[in-house]
Amino acid sequence: MDVLVVLRQVPDLVEDLELNAAGTDLERDSLKYVLNEFDDWALEQALLLKEKNGALVTVLAPDLPEADTSLYTALAKGADRAAKVSGDFVLTRSSHALADILAPAIRVLPHDVVLTGVQSAEDLDGQLAVLLGSYLGYPAVSVVTDVAVDGSSLIVRKEFAGGLCAEYEVALPCVLGIQAAVRTPRYAPVSRVRAVSKEKKIEVLSAGGIRESDLRIVAFRKPEGGRRADMITGDPDSVAQQIVAILRQRGLLKRSSE
Amino acid sequence: MLTPAEKIAFLCLAAVTLGLATRNAFLILRAIGRGQGQPNWPVIKRTLPRRLARLAVQVGLTRPVWRQRPLVALLHYLLFAAFSFYVLVNLSDLAEGYLAGYQTLHRGGIVAAFNVVADTLSVLGIGAMAALLVRRFVIRDRRFAFRSNVLLYPRVKAGGIQRDSLIVGGFILLHVGSRWLGQACQLAASGAPDVSEPLASLLARALQPVSPALLEVGVHVTWWMALGLILLFLPYFVRSKHIHIFFGPVNWLLYPDDRATRVGLRESEAKSGNSTGRGATRLEDLGWRQVLDAYACIMCNRCQDVCPAYAAGTPLSPSALEINKRYWLNDHLVEFAAGKTSSEGLLDFALSKEAVWACTTCGACVEVCPVGNAPMLDIVAVRQALIEAGSELDPGLQKALESFAKHGNSFGQSARARIRWTTGLPFKIKDARKEPVDYLWFVGDYAAFDPRSQQVTRLVAQLLNAAGIDFGILYDGERNSGNDVRRVGEEGLFELLAEQNLEQLAKAEFREGIITTDPHSMHALRYEYATRGQSFRVRHYTQVLADLLRTGRLSAGHALAYRATYHDPCYLGRYNRVFDAPRQICALLGVDLVEMPRNRASSFCCGAGGGQVWQASRLGGERPSEARIREALATLGSNGPSQRGVPLFLVACPKDYAMYTDAVKTSGNEGKIVVRDIGELVAEAVGLGIEEASLGRRAR
Amino acid sequence: MAGVMVLAEHLNGVLADLSFELAGKGRAMADALAEPLDVAVLGAPTLASEFGVADRVIAVTNTTLEVYSPTAYRAALAQLIREYQPRLVLVGNTSIGMDLAAAVSAELSLPLVSYCTGLRIDDGQIVATAQLYGGKVLVDALPATDHCIVAVLAGSFPADAGRRPGQPSIERRELAGVTSGGIRFRRLIQPEAGDVDITRQDILVSVGRGIQSQENLEGVEELARALGGELCASRPIVDNGWLPKSRQVGKSGLTVRPRLYLAVGVSGAPEHLEGMRGAECIIAVNSDPSAPIFEVADYGVVADLFEIVPALTDRLKQ
Repeated sequence: MDVLVVLRQVPDLVEDLELNAAGTDLERDSLKYVLNEFDDWALEQALLLKEKNGALVTVLAPDLPEADTSLYTALAKGADRAAKVSGDFVLTRSSHALADILAPAIRVLPHDVVLTGVQSAEDLDGQLAVLLGSYLGYPAVSVVTDVAVDGSSLIVRKEFAGGLCAEYEVALPCVLGIQAAVRTPRYAPVSRVRAVSKEKKIEVLSAGGIRESDLRIVAFRKPEGGRRADMITGDPDSVAQQIVAILRQRGLLKRSSE
Repeated sequence: MLTPAEKIAFLCLAAVTLGLATRNAFLILRAIGRGQGQPNWPVIKRTLPRRLARLAVQVGLTRPVWRQRPLVALLHYLLFAAFSFYVLVNLSDLAEGYLAGYQTLHRGGIVAAFNVVADTLSVLGIGAMAALLVRRFVIRDRRFAFRSNVLLYPRVKAGGIQRDSLIVGGFILLHVGSRWLGQACQLAASGAPDVSEPLASLLARALQPVSPALLEVGVHVTWWMALGLILLFLPYFVRSKHIHIFFGPVNWLLYPDDRATRVGLRESEAKSGNSTGRGATRLEDLGWRQVLDAYACIMCNRCQDVCPAYAAGTPLSPSALEINKRYWLNDHLVEFAAGKTSSEGLLDFALSKEAVWACTTCGACVEVCPVGNAPMLDIVAVRQALIEAGSELDPGLQKALESFAKHGNSFGQSARARIRWTTGLPFKIKDARKEPVDYLWFVGDYAAFDPRSQQVTRLVAQLLNAAGIDFGILYDGERNSGNDVRRVGEEGLFELLAEQNLEQLAKAEFREGIITTDPHSMHALRYEYATRGQSFRVRHYTQVLADLLRTGRLSAGHALAYRATYHDPCYLGRYNRVFDAPRQICALLGVDLVEMPRNRASSFCCGAGGGQVWQASRLGGERPSEARIREALATLGSNGPSQRGVPLFLVACPKDYAMYTDAVKTSGNEGKIVVRDIGELVAEAVGLGIEEASLGRRAR
Repeated sequence: MAGVMVLAEHLNGVLADLSFELAGKGRAMADALAEPLDVAVLGAPTLASEFGVADRVIAVTNTTLEVYSPTAYRAALAQLIREYQPRLVLVGNTSIGMDLAAAVSAELSLPLVSYCTGLRIDDGQIVATAQLYGGKVLVDALPATDHCIVAVLAGSFPADAGRRPGQPSIERRELAGVTSGGIRFRRLIQPEAGDVDITRQDILVSVGRGIQSQENLEGVEELARALGGELCASRPIVDNGWLPKSRQVGKSGLTVRPRLYLAVGVSGAPEHLEGMRGAECIIAVNSDPSAPIFEVADYGVVADLFEIVPALTDRLKQ
């Protein structure tokens, strides 16, 4: 079986995110990119399938900053083949556009199933996994927490709120949005990543035209208040009263109001 | 004088047993040779006179043995003296057996002196051996026991150590006892006591009623019991723990000169490859010295006594590791020496995986070992192999490693956040990469990121500034030094961090050297970057502060009347031998410093080192940091606040600051003892504390 | 054609709270646009009567939709949108909504805003506010066409507004052509009866060292119950064995992003902050005014937790 994993670089949320002068985007020049954490789980799921079912694992990334690092790390962890789609889409926040760019690349790479993270920090216009399903014409399931091979189809566990899960049998080829796997993503020793980046090559595919977004950005803005505690003072009961007021205002009292 | 038949018999026996012993000795040497790397002969040759002189002192006084257990060390010394002297005694006895007319009794001069010593040491030796046997088999000193969660090689579990101890002990008693009895028989047969052997003479008097013929038989039998026994047991001795009398000194002789490199990881061996990559999966993947360690080990468990991981109830016992290696080798010596791949991995017989990850790399086991072993290094090598093999890691550890690779710190914070601690300082710290400075201050992760330490770091900055020190930092260019990363076994990541730091350091110009806050950084920069063609003069901030106070560049406004104890950080004390600077500061500031029982090189680890600080706590017993607070309270008297205020627990390492502030809380000792950094103390004496308070840190 | 269409979310015969949040907000948007509100209930016609707030409930009776199927739901929703041409479609940004919104958006070329926490009408146009980058940035976006679909984060709007009684017209539809395609439902798996998964809780009450002893946990537990949340803790509490490891937040524990994180007696060691920084609203109670937890908290109380906890519990029970 051939497993293809889409790895996507996203801004590192550990950094202070600055907004651009126009307030319509992040200040992209100062951004640091890291692999979307859910994509790391998708890769882990692929590697687990490889270990169990002897799958060939190909990793594919849009050529965003630091994509090579993520691809080499994936190779070091056990992926067999790595490719990236090059093109000038650093400023594209649209998941539709990304899916549109990735779908043709996926078609030319070996795959029975496409895995990617269930969501990322910047899919404003929808999650990539499901969009890839649409652009490829494959069935797609998101919020997947376990995948097993059953003959020519997959048994997929999807999770709902509150820990309730459902099991589906999904025909191949398909796309899965991975939320978690049975084990946490493995560690890739730095020395191996370095060795792999000398030994192995990343194939480069070029992107077609970039699809225009059908959303207009009015504003990027920071949530008000920021992260500095507003101090609540008073006697215990008055403090309690104020806390309850805050909870009510934020709609956090819903359960007790049932 | 032996009969001709006896002479021939003895020679035949000697030929057989010496042959067997030689074979065993060669097997062992070949086994040691299977370890990675080899002794640095040119250096050893060049420094041989100094090494031999050092060895003579080390061994002559059995100096390393005295660090712990004084009574046992005394008994050991008596045995050591008796045994050493018995080399002469045995030669003399051999001569008596073979050379007609040669005898030592009833002679004067030097021979009489020889007799006095031999006679006294015989009895003392027998007494000491008997006492040690009583300790092991009658009193059953529990320091010989291993906790049930420690992995033991089957033969060890089955009582191998006791058996060998009994054999060795029994041999010594028989050998020395027989010789002494033989002297008594000779004296009794001669009919006159010899003042040069007063004790044997006493026994001889008791033997007077025995017939001369029987005494003659006694002389022969005891000769055989004394010397024949040596031959008989030689092939066994080579494989027994008694061989420490040879490999212990060899270990000391071949050890690096420098104390710090002794505890530190050795570049050549850490990197020496085996076919599967870095680190050790099997015994033969370890350095040659680590294999030698197994033969030098006398199984005294001193290392287990001082190991913080063992004390905390983890399945790690450094002595069990060496002992397991040794008994495994005993069982597999022929194949191993022949170069066959070991049938079992280290994790199968030497130590459990849990034990591997429990080590704090505090170096206490290395420091205490009387025969110069370094079990800690085996553990790091096994970690390297586990990391290399992609073994599942503790989630906290993995997160930390990933954070190091991504951000250069374990706090999961942006590299840019590294200088947040400087916010609010009344002056701007120079960027050493942009303008030349005298000192480069390598601040380190905990000092820069941990809010508990940030205030101390600000104070140290203000102190340096107040003293007019021209210093700068690397700003967001600094990365973790990689010291602990390396001890976790992530050698590749260590290299990456070292490269990144060296690149930044290359951009900086600092005339006088580096100052570090974190002793772990100090060690890495001082010793472990050196092999990358860089060598730095690295000083700890306590050393700098001590100098500034001594030279008057900082002057203490008033004496501090605190009562305090000081905790030596492992990487400052044991690893870098900085013991005095913090103590000098205390003395200069008028602090009443009381030493804990475990101080200086015997300091007890806080439990954070070697990557433990990132791992989920896996301890069953009392945490090392809490045990240490208990020790401090016992030292200072736990009466709580006195007229001198609440006593202080002084630290000089940001990790200690975090660990012990926690430990004071978790052990329920808040209000009884306060954790303070040496830097805070100096700041208070100099009168800087107020400024820090006015920075309005955190309080809103 | 116009109007607002809300997709009701249900599983196992139970309507999610979110459905009412969407219906309530849908009502407000419909009123503002002076257009009707439709609520679509797929595969569970008996639930149709719950939506008094709507002008019309479209109850799809196709039995394929009785259990949730990504493909069948997608086809059904797409068909409804095609037919009714709503100007605004509201779905949850949930496990179900994530399957549907993007797919329908792609299939119908319908602009989509995900992670929506706010909706307003500006100059007659719908502006959706999305919470991106771990909540660090809010993005106001405007669909480039007249129609759009919005995936709303649970808890963004009050559910009460969607529970109004009323007499909507109920339109039953079969949508016979809808099938489950390449995805076959096999079974539901109930969460294991073991400990709760704190990473999935909306409300967490976290205890730290300030709690002092295990016995004191009881009071905090009661507070958690009153809030409808669960208890979690910082490392020392778990190390002491007072709570299981599954409750540990932070570096060596779990990373949580609840809507409310109420920290009592948690000083906020960096190892801990790492695991909860992403919470939407953090309230900290600690007796030490310099406790670093106040650096990340939205609201702070410098007080003895043993006074605040019972007072708050009482208030909540009222």
